[in-house]
Amino acid sequence: MENIIEVKNAAKLFGNETALNDVSFHVKKGETFGFLGPSGSGKTTTIKILTAQLRQTSGDAYVFGVPTERLKENKYRKKIGVLTDNSGLYSRLSIYENLKLFCDLYDVPPMRIDEVLAMVQLQNEHKKIVSKLSKGMLQRVTLARAFLHKPELLFLDEPTSALDPVNSRHIYKGLEKLKSEGTTIFLTTHDMDEAETLCDRVAFLNKGSIQLLDQPKRLRKQFSNGTIRVELMDGREIYLDRGPDGAEELYEYMSAGMVESANSNEPTLGDIFVEVTGRKLS
Amino acid sequence: MTFSLKRSLAIFRKDYKDVSKNLYVSTTVLMPLILAAVYGRTGVETVEVYFLVFNLTFTMVAAYVQSALIAEEKEKNTLRGLMLSPATTAEILGGKSMLSFLGTLIVLVMCAFFMEYQPGNLLIISVASLISIVFYIGIGTLIGLLTRSVMEASVAILPVAFFFSFVPLVKPFMDEYPILKAVNFFPNLQLIELANQIETGAGWGDSWSAILIILGWTVVITSFVVAVYNRKMVDH
Ligand SMILES: Nc1ncnc2c1ncn2[C@@H]1O[C@H](COP(=O)(O)OP(=O)(O)OP(=O)(O)O)[C@@H](O)[C@H]1O
Ligand SMILES: [Mg+2]
Repeated sequence: MENIIEVKNAAKLFGNETALNDVSFHVKKGETFGFLGPSGSGKTTTIKILTAQLRQTSGDAYVFGVPTERLKENKYRKKIGVLTDNSGLYSRLSIYENLKLFCDLYDVPPMRIDEVLAMVQLQNEHKKIVSKLSKGMLQRVTLARAFLHKPELLFLDEPTSALDPVNSRHIYKGLEKLKSEGTTIFLTTHDMDEAETLCDRVAFLNKGSIQLLDQPKRLRKQFSNGTIRVELMDGREIYLDRGPDGAEELYEYMSAGMVESANSNEPTLGDIFVEVTGRKLS
Repeated sequence: MTFSLKRSLAIFRKDYKDVSKNLYVSTTVLMPLILAAVYGRTGVETVEVYFLVFNLTFTMVAAYVQSALIAEEKEKNTLRGLMLSPATTAEILGGKSMLSFLGTLIVLVMCAFFMEYQPGNLLIISVASLISIVFYIGIGTLIGLLTRSVMEASVAILPVAFFFSFVPLVKPFMDEYPILKAVNFFPNLQLIELANQIETGAGWGDSWSAILIILGWTVVITSFVVAVYNRKMVDH
């Protein structure tokens, strides 16, 4: 399958501070790829390099098969949508006026504004002035602007960091719709549940290096210790082997009516991150 | 490079709506108008006085308003959005200049009207003034690009405005200090020179050198603006 993003041994230094260190990965067409890492790990730097806002110090970065310097060309701009952490909306103008400008810049009919506002649950807020919006609304407008022109590739830098769980879930639904239409999504987050929900593959970024990269499901399998966690009626919590021995033990507990609950003991992405990097995510 | 007027006009429309809600910028255009109204009542004797007002318009409307418009795009992180869109450098800078250009033009015409300025050759002085507007918008764009906020831009514009408004006042000292003659090549002085010439019946044949010098300055400043802008597109 075609690689939409291809990064080989990219590094970025600011002065003599290393922001990215020998980073390599690729993102396939239609894939949702997550960059997970704590603050300062280099997530935004990576997005800036991939959208030609920043030049890597060394290594190669290709998007749509061309080096990122060429993304300035009109035909690539139209295929890329970007949401960065600093909003970039005109605060004295209304939501509609902001989006209308971008419709004109991207050659999109203004009808599309209703569609994107519906996707972010803001369909009745056309006339609201941007400076009067809550943080979460602002983030949703910025998101709507990022996919206004139906980009083939969408960069989302912490798209839900200012949203409550309900709004986040709305956004996830919207993103899933874009994904089902074939959009490739590159997103950064420090929310592990978000990564689990949305991403086909995730990379763990820590201090500018990728420490682990795989499908969330496979990572959990890889890091599970093969036990089942059983809570007993008396409040005890025990871990049983998943083999025949464990089965026998579990059978006994269950026959005695002592089992409150039994769960597979797979680690969450958050647990794995801590295990691999020795750092918490947020 | 293709130029889409549609994109430039979209940016212009946006600026127009934005500025009409921004009193801070809107009030600066009043300064030259008030001065022109005052002179209009007392009567103007010399070309120098007309051009004191016109120069103020160039610096306070063309350069200052432009620098504020550009600096605000930087301050609010909106310039990035324009840069990442399919709009080209020419479309963005062109669109971002339309409002200051029109505004300056309107204020100039109104000032001329208040002061009852009747140039000896309207066409020549109009051509030279239109080119001058572009020059001052270039200056404003440059200041906007090199500063980080509207506050910074409005401080940075002061020495520039002072320089272009008051340099004409050194003229009387030129005989005494010949070094000051170099100042004659500045676009603002060329414009005044031209305005004086047409009062004594000069036509196109006598005017082209002044117009070319102003045009030369404008081309230089414009290329400089484009170079700085392209550098700003990529962070370092
Ligand atoms: N323009 C810059 N100049 C100097 N250092 C920078 C610059 N931009 C980023 N850095 C540094 O590079 C490192 C990575 O920053 P980056 O913004 O990519 O982190 P991040 O993962 O996006 O963090 P967050 O979750 O807080 O957004 C940080 O140490 C930061 O201080
Ligand atoms: Mg960041």
